[in-house]
Amino acid sequence: MQNFHVAIVGAGVIGSSIAWELSKYKLDVIVFEKGSDVSSGTSKANSGVIHSGINSPPSSLKARFCMEGNKMLQSLADSFGFSLKWTGKLVIAKNEDEVKELNRLKKVGNYNKVPGLEIKDGKEIKIQEPNVTCYKALWVPTAGIISPYEFTIAFAENAAVNNVNFLLETEVKDIQKNENNFLIETNNGKYQSKLLINAAGLNCRDIVSMLQTPDFEIYPCRGEYIVLDKTYSYLVNSMIYPVPPKEFGVLGVHITPTVEGNILLGPSAEFVDDSDDKRTTKKMMKNLLRKGKEIIPILPDKAVINAYSGVRCKLASPDEGGWADYRIEESKQTPNLINLLGIESPGLTAAPAIAKEVVKMISNSIDLKKKTVFKILKANKQRFSEMSSKKRSGLIKQDKRWGRVVCRCEHVTEAEVINALKNPLKAQTLSSVKYRCRAGMGRCQGGFCTQHIVRIMEEDLKIDVKEIKLKSPKSNLFYGRTRKLEND
Amino acid sequence: MVEQGSLKMINLDVDVTVIGAGPAGLAAAISARENGAGEVIVLDRNSWLGGILPQCIHDGFGVEEIGTSMTGPEYADMYIKNAEKLGVTFFYETMVLQLFKNHEIIAVNKKGLHKIKAKSIVLAMGCREKTRWDVLIPGERPSGIYTAGVAQGFINLYNIMVGKNVVILGSGDVGLIVARRLRFEGANVKGVIEILPYASGLPRNVVQCLDDYNIPLYLNHTVAYIKGRERLESITIAQVDEKMEIIYGTEKEIKCDTLLLSLGLIPENELSKQVGIEIDTITGGPVVDQFFETTVKGIFACGNCLQVYDTVDILSIGAKQVGKNAAKYAVGETHEKIGFVKVTAGKGIRYVLPQQINKSGKVHFYLRVEQPKKTAVLRVFSGDVELLKKKLPWANPANMIEFDFNVSEKVLKSNKPLEVTIDDQ
Amino acid sequence: MINEKEITCIICPISCKISVRIDGKRLEVCKGNKCKKGIDYARSEALDPRRMLTSSVLVKNGEWPLVSVKGSEPIPKDKIFQVLKQIKQIKVDAPVKLGQNIIKNVSNTEINIIATKSVKRM
Repeated sequence: MQNFHVAIVGAGVIGSSIAWELSKYKLDVIVFEKGSDVSSGTSKANSGVIHSGINSPPSSLKARFCMEGNKMLQSLADSFGFSLKWTGKLVIAKNEDEVKELNRLKKVGNYNKVPGLEIKDGKEIKIQEPNVTCYKALWVPTAGIISPYEFTIAFAENAAVNNVNFLLETEVKDIQKNENNFLIETNNGKYQSKLLINAAGLNCRDIVSMLQTPDFEIYPCRGEYIVLDKTYSYLVNSMIYPVPPKEFGVLGVHITPTVEGNILLGPSAEFVDDSDDKRTTKKMMKNLLRKGKEIIPILPDKAVINAYSGVRCKLASPDEGGWADYRIEESKQTPNLINLLGIESPGLTAAPAIAKEVVKMISNSIDLKKKTVFKILKANKQRFSEMSSKKRSGLIKQDKRWGRVVCRCEHVTEAEVINALKNPLKAQTLSSVKYRCRAGMGRCQGGFCTQHIVRIMEEDLKIDVKEIKLKSPKSNLFYGRTRKLEND
Repeated sequence: MVEQGSLKMINLDVDVTVIGAGPAGLAAAISARENGAGEVIVLDRNSWLGGILPQCIHDGFGVEEIGTSMTGPEYADMYIKNAEKLGVTFFYETMVLQLFKNHEIIAVNKKGLHKIKAKSIVLAMGCREKTRWDVLIPGERPSGIYTAGVAQGFINLYNIMVGKNVVILGSGDVGLIVARRLRFEGANVKGVIEILPYASGLPRNVVQCLDDYNIPLYLNHTVAYIKGRERLESITIAQVDEKMEIIYGTEKEIKCDTLLLSLGLIPENELSKQVGIEIDTITGGPVVDQFFETTVKGIFACGNCLQVYDTVDILSIGAKQVGKNAAKYAVGETHEKIGFVKVTAGKGIRYVLPQQINKSGKVHFYLRVEQPKKTAVLRVFSGDVELLKKKLPWANPANMIEFDFNVSEKVLKSNKPLEVTIDDQ
Repeated sequence: MINEKEITCIICPISCKISVRIDGKRLEVCKGNKCKKGIDYARSEALDPRRMLTSSVLVKNGEWPLVSVKGSEPIPKDKIFQVLKQIKQIKVDAPVKLGQNIIKNVSNTEINIIATKSVKRM
């Protein structure tokens, strides 16, 4: 049985950022991820917002880690090369009554030491956002946008090149504990580890149950989103949030530009029984469009290119008001089990700060010796679509696969698809390609590129067509062959 | 943005550049050469020529045009051989990145970046298929959902079977043809779902693809829900009312692992929009005059990127005309535009093409009606004056209607729009 | 034995439903057609229904894994699946030339299966 210092369950943004922090030390670390790639759960299906801290109650862990994380984002973006735009956010009020909420948010923000907050008049807002009508708005300059899966992948791939082991499609089935170690049984073998970090997101309670009786419940809360075509990116410059609804601690339906130039409408908030229930509903899709049009009347109906939903792991029920703070703690009952529970918004922002905190927490139980050699892997920002002619020509001369465009909508080349497939995590689904180089994310939604990506997987990576998956272990694309080959 | 004037580009100077080597591009290129153009080049993003034709292994091509029924690959081969004989140059796996008003193109392939100057340009980019999100089908997001064309490509070109228990949404020709193909390849085709009260494909295809194999056709139905965590598990269909809204209580779940979407085609005009060509929001293609010239001088459009055609035959005839016009433009034979008249879609007409006339003489019009009609009378008005009245045996949105009309100088100079209408009588 | 059938005509989009009565090899068109072409179609469809069959054949060593094929003539409707079965078992070696005979006299129909595209050797 393989032995590790630290085992992490879950490679979402929390698990991946912890893995990366740990990779700076001379430790044997393993990460178990049941999905076919990192960022498979809540971490990929959210708004991609870097929060300022105005929405988190003062003195909460959410506020603390949001503020700390927010300050770390720019330097992380500079090191890793992932996209980050400080678009700022406008919380808009329709009338004087709603302005009370703006004042309240400003107060919370001031308490949390959020800089630059300013309540602006509707006329002033019209200058910065010509397509938005409001009475007054709270301007929040320290809010930004990232691509949440790009962010998570950056942490995970950096951890991987610094020798953290990632086992994808590996589900933890059972955990036992003896005096010194956790004995972890997965569908991919048995492992031993001194420390266990539970970053399993919506499955966090299942992991705890394997070792002790949980003292909490989880309340999955689904949020639906609509993605609008890039043609409409000109409609907004910053994030537009109407004053949040008074019910159960969610931020409400907002308009969020993405770093790629699309627009997101959403999320909704609906408590669901099944944490895996990621359906989109006609009712909600229509609702999101309607709410979007309330804020931007000229928004056209035909602008939708995709719709998805994500589920948040809440620790409080709707009856309790739906708001609970993060629980980031070592289990009293099971020493060396570190639980990260209820990491919902502002989870993306908080992740890098939470990761540092977790390292501090385990420094008592384990010897942390910093590595002398540490690699930084810059996200593959070599995007043909963004290069100059000179750069393009140069690359094509070196490797002619840079000259073959396989995704028409996003101008992604064969070379980028191959690089995406050759990632250090060995994640090789269609989504893995999509999230790393954007092929398939345009308005034709894979109508042209899918055939070429499949051929590249077959020819260059020798993947059997029966094994090609969309995004998860059993989401196979194909049934077999039209005509059987000799060796079938 | 790509800067022009980089030293490392491959430079070319030709008479006519055709974008797309599908049936429209091929026909236009041949015709351009036959009508006096010097160098004619065709750029295509794939490693093969013929566009969608190589995967259309069924027959039915060329019936009106040539009098025989060929398969897609045979039809393509005929055109390709013709083009090669006439000295048309083809560029494979070449993507046009940018198009400029002065007819310059920046294109890329494995040999590098190309800057291509042309005297005239023919747009023949074809179309793309409508996706699940164009109609907002709710439910989960499993694998096993394809547009019919993409599935057809996998089955016929790449030797890949997409699934075993299949449902098809949309009874257009693509959906019907693929239904039969899947049945032939051993799949269990459980049904074709159509929201309208009638099938939108040719009757021949309804008989020979569905009736022949007892594949059920659910008219007045739509897909209300998609179920499947990882791979598709089932779809729920429901009946719709006259407003095409779901009638609750009529839901029926069909277990399947594959859903093919044949929801319609969208003309591909990213390049057209980029260069500022005016687009008709109903056709989805460029606004053109009777020469199929767009609102940017010397740039012409043909094929499915101009309007979605019903058969390749009519498409090819139109494309040949465009090739001729592009050639004439290239050699300097442009006509004098002595007037301007807009053509508008009046009562009962969904769209009419061309949308502008700028020279007197016979004009060939294309149109589609809004609703099916058992008897129909087509009329053309200039202001209030009825200039044409034509009885049609029937009219159907799924069948493009063509007619010739002579635009007089008087009409041209009147500046009053020409309105096309259709009525029961 | 007298058989009554309803045939959907496919000659034009009106798609008349034509009722026919078949007595051995004799056909009587009862009603439904709006033109003469419908009668001819109904006759052939009722007495000797045939279909143009298209499919694919596996190619070895070719630039494409499949070559599209068709019957040299329309095939009797009741032999379609038999013919398809035979087509699925064949493999051809590249190069394949458009028009080339892939199977001669498939399933004893006296109809050949011919290639509808060329596939170069890899």
